[in-house]
This record gives sequence, structure tokens and C-alpha cells, in this order.
Amino acid sequence: MGFIKLVVIGFVALTIVYWSVSIYSRSVRREKLEKSWSADHPQSTDKAARDDYIAKGMADYDSGFRKKLIFLVYVVPVVTVSAILILTNTN
Amino acid sequence: MRAVRIVFRSLVLLIVGSFFHYVLPQHDVAKITSTEVIRTDFSGFNRFFYAQADSGAAELSTRDLRLINTERRKTFLLGFIQRESEGVMVYRNEDSGWIWPPYFKFDSSDLQAEAAANISAPAAEQWVVITHYGWRNRFFSIYPNAVGIRPIEGPDVRIIPWFNIFFFGFLIVAYLFVRAAWRQFRERSLDPAMEKASNRWDEVEAGVSERRSRVRRWLDSWKGK
Repeated sequence: MGFIKLVVIGFVALTIVYWSVSIYSRSVRREKLEKSWSADHPQSTDKAARDDYIAKGMADYDSGFRKKLIFLVYVVPVVTVSAILILTNTN
Repeated sequence: MRAVRIVFRSLVLLIVGSFFHYVLPQHDVAKITSTEVIRTDFSGFNRFFYAQADSGAAELSTRDLRLINTERRKTFLLGFIQRESEGVMVYRNEDSGWIWPPYFKFDSSDLQAEAAANISAPAAEQWVVITHYGWRNRFFSIYPNAVGIRPIEGPDVRIIPWFNIFFFGFLIVAYLFVRAAWRQFRERSLDPAMEKASNRWDEVEAGVSERRSRVRRWLDSWKGK
């Protein structure tokens, strides 16, 4: 069945995309936190406070809305496929 | 070396370009002259250029193929510049199915009926825009696959390829994202790891040379003074 094949292949491909996007997004967020810490505390050598600050920022990110936006990776292709399906097959 | 690079790059560009030219939708301004069904025996060579049997039907080595015969306006530059002259064109009309190319077309019979409803006669000319993908090649006996038919008033229409505009826009965005992600990965993961490894290597090398110098000193101690 073509449809099952499409769903399986599509799910696997989109999961790969989802993982890469979320790893990238986390990395960008962490870098931002590190930079803002060193901008605010240029002289600080307190590693524990820095780790704490970053851990707190990452926890905020994990519970935030931006992280949920990555689910659009699944939503947009499904909507696109449905739109093409309807546009092609209606007269 | 430079010539090899130029040849290689043009080859890649040619393959990618013809791939997109084959797969992406194009619009032809045409008059439908008739529709027909022929039996087709695919060869191993041209099978590649046909879709599968109608969705829901069994796949056999031989099957009927719906064709739409037309007279279409000729164009320059991949359809961007219209010409006044006309030439014949034959489209196949097949379900593209769920997988490839992703047109998700299942309405071949409906499209054939639509084509038949819009047949043009010399007294009553009926122009249509035919959306299609694929190539016509006489030597391989392959046809572009018609995806949609839209009746129009006259042959002078401005067609804006919205899908292709969005598609290439998306392609550029995707490329920029992949590049940004790769740079981030290299900066944050790859380079620190490499640095660590090279530091380790330096330490190992330093250790080796230190040991060697110790051996040398020990050897030297045996030499006569």
C-alpha cells in the first residue's frame, strides 16, 4: 500500500528533521545563555553560578512555547500534502 | 584540476536541473484535439518514466494508458516566453499515486472526462491550461503526465508559477538552515572535540620526547668521557 509507505517513510524522515532542528535550537539557546552570562559578569570565575544560570535558562526553554513550535516540522508537511491532495483531485 | 572541477560542477548542475525540470509542474496553453487510450508494453528502459497502475488496481507488465492529444502554443525559455506558433503535444494521464512524484493524483479518469469535455473544434476554439510534469521523447516513447486542466478564454494568459516560486523559496530557506546548523555543530561540537584530541596528541608527543630524552641521557651516561 502506497499510503502506508508514505506514512512510514514520512514519519521517519520528519523525525530525523525534528531531531536535527531541536538539537540545533537547543545549541543556539545554550550559546545565547553563555554569551549573556559573560556579558553580564565579565570578571566572574564562579563556575557553579554560571552552570546554574545556564541550567535555569535551559529549563525555561524546555517548558517554553518556542520548543513546541518545532512540532510544526510534523504539521506543515501533513497540511501541505493534504492541500496538494485536495487541489489535484478536485475539479 | 580546475577543468575537472568545472566539468564536475556543470555535470551536477545539469543532473539537478533536469531532475527539477522533469519533476516540477509546468503549464502549457493548448487546445485539446482528442483523447484516447492505447495499450502500452513498457520496456525496462522507459518503464522508469511511467507511473504505476491506477491507484487500487493491480500492477501488470502491460496496461492501458490514457492519452490527451493537443495542439499547444510553443514557448521559449522553459515556458516563460510565449510564441505565436503552435505544435502538437501528447500528454499521458496516469495516477501518480502516494509516493513519487508527490502530486497525489488519483483522478485520472475524472481528468480524462474533463479533457473530453473541453475538446476544441475549428469552429469553436477552446483553449485550456494544462498543468503537467515530465518530458515528451519520441525515441523512448515517453509523455509528460497531465495533472490538471483549466479552461481559459483565449490563448493570451499570464501564468504565474506559484508552486515553483514557493518551492524554490523553501529550497533556499532549507539550504540556509542546513548551513547554519552545520556551522553551529562545527563550532560547538566538532571544533572543541578536535581541539581536545589535538591537545591530547600534543601531550602524548611531549611525553614521548621527554622519555626519549631520558633514554638519550641514560645512553649518554655510558659513553666514555
